[in-house]
Amino acid sequence: MTAARAIPALLAALALPSCDWMPGKPTLADKWQAPSEITSFTELYNSNCLGCHADGRSIAGSNTLKDPLYLSLLAPEKLREIIAAGINGHSMPAFAKENGGQLTDQQIDILVAGIMEWRDPSKLPAAPIPPYSAPLGDVAAGNAAFAQYCASCHGADGNGGEKAGSVVNPYYLDLVSDQYLRTIAIAGRPELGCPDFAHRVPGRPMSPQEVSDVTAWLVSRRVNEFGQPPQTIPNQP
Amino acid sequence: MKPAAQKIADLGLSVFNWVDDRLHVRKVWESTAGHHVPQSAGSWFYVFGSATLLCLMMQLVTGTLLALVYVPSADEAYATLEYLTYQQQLGWFLRALHYWGSDFMVGIMCLHMTQVFLWGAYKYPREITWISGLVLLVLTLGLAFTGQVMRFDEDAYWGLGIGAAIVGRVPFVGQQLVDFMLGGQIIGSETLSRFFALHVFVLPGSILAVVALHLRMVLTKGINEYPVPGMVVRRETYDKEYAAILKKEGVPFFPKAIDKDIIAAAFVIGGIVACACIFGPKGPSGPADPLHIDSSPRPDFWFLWIFAVAALMPEEIETFALLVGPVIIGIILVALPFVNGTGEKSWRRRPMAVIVVILVWVSLGMLTYLGATSPWSPVMDGWSSLPVGKEQIAGRSPLELQGAVTLQFKQCRNCHMVDGLGGERGPDLTDVGMRLTAPQLARQVVQGGGNMPAYGQNLSPAEVEALVAYMTTLVPEGVPPAQDFTLTKAAKQ
Ligand code: HEC
Ligand code: HEC
Ligand code: HEC
Repeated sequence: MTAARAIPALLAALALPSCDWMPGKPTLADKWQAPSEITSFTELYNSNCLGCHADGRSIAGSNTLKDPLYLSLLAPEKLREIIAAGINGHSMPAFAKENGGQLTDQQIDILVAGIMEWRDPSKLPAAPIPPYSAPLGDVAAGNAAFAQYCASCHGADGNGGEKAGSVVNPYYLDLVSDQYLRTIAIAGRPELGCPDFAHRVPGRPMSPQEVSDVTAWLVSRRVNEFGQPPQTIPNQP
Repeated sequence: MKPAAQKIADLGLSVFNWVDDRLHVRKVWESTAGHHVPQSAGSWFYVFGSATLLCLMMQLVTGTLLALVYVPSADEAYATLEYLTYQQQLGWFLRALHYWGSDFMVGIMCLHMTQVFLWGAYKYPREITWISGLVLLVLTLGLAFTGQVMRFDEDAYWGLGIGAAIVGRVPFVGQQLVDFMLGGQIIGSETLSRFFALHVFVLPGSILAVVALHLRMVLTKGINEYPVPGMVVRRETYDKEYAAILKKEGVPFFPKAIDKDIIAAAFVIGGIVACACIFGPKGPSGPADPLHIDSSPRPDFWFLWIFAVAALMPEEIETFALLVGPVIIGIILVALPFVNGTGEKSWRRRPMAVIVVILVWVSLGMLTYLGATSPWSPVMDGWSSLPVGKEQIAGRSPLELQGAVTLQFKQCRNCHMVDGLGGERGPDLTDVGMRLTAPQLARQVVQGGGNMPAYGQNLSPAEVEALVAYMTTLVPEGVPPAQDFTLTKAAKQ
């Protein structure tokens, strides 16, 4: 046997016992994991949140969580509370085991930490950012603020325009919470083309008061087709 | 003086003669490996039997090696498998060889049986060959079945569950039989030791005994000559005709007819090793724990069709299908060589036989496909995990966006696909707006229908409105949404 042949043969003989090159060799990553043992943030986010909240690559029905402005509003404790307890009466389910969900406390902590990793202070607008929560403002002032900041897209009366749909549809308003409306009023839906509070009118960011007023106006439109607040049926998944 | 080499050769010969005189080695060799077979039997179609036997031998070797590590107790079985798979040097490879060997063995055995059936080899005088083959079929399936129980993971649970469901339906003594099978009321350590004893002692022992009978019959009644259309089997004349064939063109099996079997053997071993290298062993999946509600146990490949049958059959026929069905099939198969023992052998002259084979393989194939994809089982975390495509979100109004959220929240996605992701219990909703109008959509959601639950009680009016508004937007670009033609017509008049 010449050396030229002996060397590959020797290598093959050495490779055989290690066998790591074989595609069939199971790795620890293939190992079955109980759902409550999963500790990878991506896996947790993808299997629990991605259907409703986008992660920057997809888009979904509810607001994207991978939004630096939105995350700067939200305290980690608040996020933890929302994941654990859900938002009662709305389509955000409770995930903590003690609330009927599937996630352990540790997994919720992993989710909170992972989502907060998406924070990026360098991408925040310069204008003073309104706080996450505040009491509703003044309805009449909100009407004026809406005309100024929102009507160009959502229509003069909010019933929808060229660029965006109705935000005063009673069924829509029945489905979302006051806080959610405030959240959108501040952070918008950047992935869908609803700008945040600082970018609706060029050079004129909304003041915290205007945000509270607009929210109050939207909430005040929450009436049914008979002009009354629609009955809300407590909904379960 | 003889040369030394000659002396040694003489000595060797006399030792051999001494042994042969006692063990009849030569005679045994001549009557087995050397027995004469029709030259026409040296066909590629005749290799499946020996290939099945080869798989059995491989299973015995790999199985023995596995048994060195495996501990058949409910507490330790799973841990020893994990040890084999992730720690023991090449342990995973051994498991993979045994797993793929089993798959190959069942598959090749089915090919063998098909070939024997199509080539009329079950006919006179090979009835006992056929029947012992049927026993081998049952034993081999039994080995494959008990083998998947050895994994003692959630898939093993499926096997035990369906087994208990079948024996539990036996009239009068059903419950007693279930207790006997599981070794108690519940699946536990007793169950595992029972199936271990079956898998490593009872079934392999029986299979070896029946293989001996099967081969004995092959030797005494000869290998089926390659059938020629028009050559008809008659009980009165067949034996003479076969003897004449042997006389005219008989060749010793070894070395004249074995070449193809050896090449086939190389392919089988190569196939098993390749699959083991490329795909590795199966599982173990989650530990067998009845408290894991979101597990979706699934049997090994060759039992997927039973999985499909069990899931799809209507409840009223369950007892019949599970209990009476196998008995009827068994009777038909055993009776075959007696009812249909003479006549044409060649499949070219037996259209019914060909049709039966095609029907059986196609239906088994379709059921296996269904079992593998199991479209009846909902995607349990579909609602929270599956996003929809950009086309299904972009440009939607706030109400429609809430509809998209409600579609997730109410777990519609677990049964319905949108944009290629989701369950398959119900129709794909990606283009549903093209098929149904808003009132039709609302009716479907509120009243349910078909296999869909009625959501009326569980949805607020706003949720219905949002869902319907969203679904009407689910139309491909450039296609108008569904219209109610009675309405448009009425409007025009
Ligand atoms: C079934 C859909 C759904 C899933 C799954 C879901 N959410 Fe939500 N989420 C919603 C909806 C709808 C809202 C808005 C509810 C409201 O009206 O206030 C919401 C609201 C929120 C909010 C508050 C938004 C605000 O107003 O500031 C946070 C934070 C949040 N979700 C995080 C999560 C995380 C993290 C997960 C995964 C563990 C998750 N959600 C999974 C539907 C969902
Ligand atoms: C540049 C255009 C534009 C402006 C200005 C704008 N929006 Fe939007 N808005 C959108 C688009 C696009 C959407 C996505 C839904 C759609 O297309 O109808 C949206 C969605 C929304 C939603 C629904 C989000 C959800 O997740 O349910 C709310 C609420 C909303 N906008 C409120 C406002 C308010 C309040 C203002 C003014 C303070 C405003 N928008 C200004 C374009 C705009
Ligand atoms: C348990 C599984 C299941 C769930 C959950 C489910 N569906 Fe269905 N759905 C079905 C089946 C099965 C059908 C077919 C009914 C038939 O054969 O008439 C169907 C039919 C439909 C149809 C008619 C589709 C067509 O092309 O004819 C619509 C629309 C629909 N479902 C919407 C929904 C919505 C919205 C939800 C959530 C509120 C939902 N489904 C939840 C199983 C389900």
